[in-house]
Amino acid sequence: MSKKNTTPQTEAELFRFIDRDDIASEKITAPRYSYWKSVFRVFFRKKINIFMIALFVFIFLVAFIMPIFWPYNPMENVTNGNTYNLSPSAAMKYFGPNIKWILGTGTLGNSIFYGCISGARTSLLLAVICAAINMTVGILVGALWGYSKKVDAVMIVVYNIIANVPYILLITVLVYIIGSGFWPFVFALTVTGWLGIAYFFRTQVMIIRDREYSLASRCLGTPVARVISKNILPFQTSVIVTLLATELPHYISMEVFLSFIGVGLSASIPSLGRMIQQGQTAFLTYPWAFWPPVVIASAITIILYLLGQNLADASDPRTHM
Amino acid sequence: MRKYMLKRILFSVFSLLVVVMVVMVLVYSLIQRNVIFQTDDTWNKKSNNDRIIYEYTQYQKYGYLTWVDYTTFVKNKYEAAYGASYSTEKAYTDAKNAVQKADWAESEDVKEFIDKYGNSGYKLRYLEPMKYKSGKTKPGGNGYLIAIQEKNVVYRLWDYLKNFITAENKNMVTDPELTDRYVRFEKDPYSGLFAIVGSGTQHKYLLYFDGRFPFIHQNWLHLNLGTSYTTYRGQEITAVINAPTGELKSSRQQYPNMLGTDEYVDTAIDFHSLSYNTGIVSDVEKQQFPDKYTVYTYKRSGLSMIENSFVIGLIATGIAYALGLPLGMLNARRKDKLADKLGNIYIIFIMSVPSLAYIFMFAALGTTLFHLPYKFANAEVKVLAYILPTISLALPSIGSLMKWMRRYMIDQMNSDYVKFARAEGLSEKEIYNVHISKNAFIYLVHGIPANILGCLTGAIITETAYSVPGVGRLLTRAINTHDNGVIVACTVFYTSLSIISLILGDLLLAKYDPRISLSSEKGGGR
Repeated sequence: MSKKNTTPQTEAELFRFIDRDDIASEKITAPRYSYWKSVFRVFFRKKINIFMIALFVFIFLVAFIMPIFWPYNPMENVTNGNTYNLSPSAAMKYFGPNIKWILGTGTLGNSIFYGCISGARTSLLLAVICAAINMTVGILVGALWGYSKKVDAVMIVVYNIIANVPYILLITVLVYIIGSGFWPFVFALTVTGWLGIAYFFRTQVMIIRDREYSLASRCLGTPVARVISKNILPFQTSVIVTLLATELPHYISMEVFLSFIGVGLSASIPSLGRMIQQGQTAFLTYPWAFWPPVVIASAITIILYLLGQNLADASDPRTHM
Repeated sequence: MRKYMLKRILFSVFSLLVVVMVVMVLVYSLIQRNVIFQTDDTWNKKSNNDRIIYEYTQYQKYGYLTWVDYTTFVKNKYEAAYGASYSTEKAYTDAKNAVQKADWAESEDVKEFIDKYGNSGYKLRYLEPMKYKSGKTKPGGNGYLIAIQEKNVVYRLWDYLKNFITAENKNMVTDPELTDRYVRFEKDPYSGLFAIVGSGTQHKYLLYFDGRFPFIHQNWLHLNLGTSYTTYRGQEITAVINAPTGELKSSRQQYPNMLGTDEYVDTAIDFHSLSYNTGIVSDVEKQQFPDKYTVYTYKRSGLSMIENSFVIGLIATGIAYALGLPLGMLNARRKDKLADKLGNIYIIFIMSVPSLAYIFMFAALGTTLFHLPYKFANAEVKVLAYILPTISLALPSIGSLMKWMRRYMIDQMNSDYVKFARAEGLSEKEIYNVHISKNAFIYLVHGIPANILGCLTGAIITETAYSVPGVGRLLTRAINTHDNGVIVACTVFYTSLSIISLILGDLLLAKYDPRISLSSEKGGGR
């Protein structure tokens, strides 16, 4: 566009030569963006998350540090029948004021408070370890399963068969064979636990697998491992976090359930499930032996679930505006 | 489509068989079998060789193996040769005592025994007689010669399948005294209608009507899912879960011999359940019955185990769909408003709190606030006893249906068809209640058969918490008591249900959404 009144400029005035810079031409200028920084910015925008993290850290520290100094011994008063099933006030009167008896005593004169703390430690450890193993194996297998049609043909048969073996039966048999200690129990929960996650993840991967950008990548000859790790897995971050949010509480509930039907951890390991199972027989008569472990288990699961859900929401890039 | 279904069913049967095989390997081969003696007093009392023999007897009862004792072999052999007086024959006593001597292997009978079983896959085991220095036999120290056959898994499966379904026929009872054998239509004196009655069959009434749901019953075909050894002493598990529970229900009835007279008795006997007595008929029974069909069960007031579970489960599922779907729709429509927030709190609570905890919480609420019966057996009005378990069972299903309905509806909210409907000027109410909910429900249709058929397997925690006599604890109880037959039966039952509900779910989905085609051959499949 030209205007009549302006003085004409020569070409030399308008343009000048510069050196060609190959490196600079490769650079694309965009604001610096870090995915995880963005995730946590969104995550911490909600004040409730900070509160829940604080609460979780508190429970975590109490559960892991307190048993070191005040170990829980369920059998300490087993010879003294007077200490069985004392209500909090009766226990305080009997033993003298001490935080140990703040929640009363159980069927064998054991301290409910210490039991809950030690049980919470077991539950947390179990949940974290099982979730870590199952998620890792499940996601890796699921990614390959969804990606390769040959693997799919085999795995779908395996899945149809193993998924139909009653879960309780499998766990019970394993507990009978390898014992009911902590690590055997982890093994029993993880030996087929990853299969469900892998199956869920397979479907997710299949959806992404045939998207155009993935197809283009494959046409350009990108190796399978790279397509999975660079094209497919990043897309699944929010799915993975959602899965984690349901998996972590799941193992705590699972331990409670298995203790309830009599195939839980061995009696020597303090666990919330065992305490709930012992308390449920007379929960109307001795409510103090039943409700504390229930409340602790529920509190941990709710916190883990909510934190996981909120992190999953935050890890969805669409919320990063 | 037909080809697809056939393929699908064949594959299902195959995977069912493999599952049963896997479970058989798990329970019969992987679990240490001597755990069954941990709480066995008889085992504790036995000692030395007698204990080993007792162990084999028990193993056979639990279905681990089959074994033959030399003594039984000798007894059968000489009984066949000499008749009933065989036990007084010297040849018999000599043969029987051969295994107690040092030169046992020289005996002709022993050689015959070894020949017969050693060559047909049995493993022979000789238990030396245990004696004190004085020459007296130690307690339980008699010598034994036995042949043991471990069942391998393929043979075990074949054995199981062979007897899976049996039909009664008129030659079933092997009693030479019974000459009049028939299966025919007769007028049933107890119902006033017709019944198929058999003689020579195991049961007398093969097909009959009575006042109990579903009003027409049969004793003709029997499904042998597995036999219980420990919990329900020798009974077939399908019979156990179908037998009515509760108190005896007496009424004015007549024994078969009283029919046509004015004589009546108050009894709870279910005369339709008469089956053949292979033992000796007592004099009292001879007066009451014209034939040897004198074994019966009683009428009881309660439902059977499986009916209890199914009724509770079905009503709970009904409540869950009736409440969960509308609530999920409401939450989706009022997203981020108060109703949605309350709904979310409920969902989070139900999803994250261990089910054990809220079931007991609910039980405490129901019993203290509304004075509803807590334990099933203690309830004075039986119908009230069903209320708490049913609602407890519905709570988690409501939560999960709400969650998914809300999720799928929100996912649909930005679809083109919704924008189009809005542009056409449809009311929000119509868009949500008719269009979005219909499309969101597609995802939930698949689970309906699984939810309904799943009721047949019972609910472990709910039934335990309220002591409902149901099928929920069948598997866990069987596992704890090493009731191997029941474990296999439960596996077959659960696996069949899950396979059937998957197929039904797919069919229902294809019916509900015509865009979905199950067989991919014709094209148009998604």
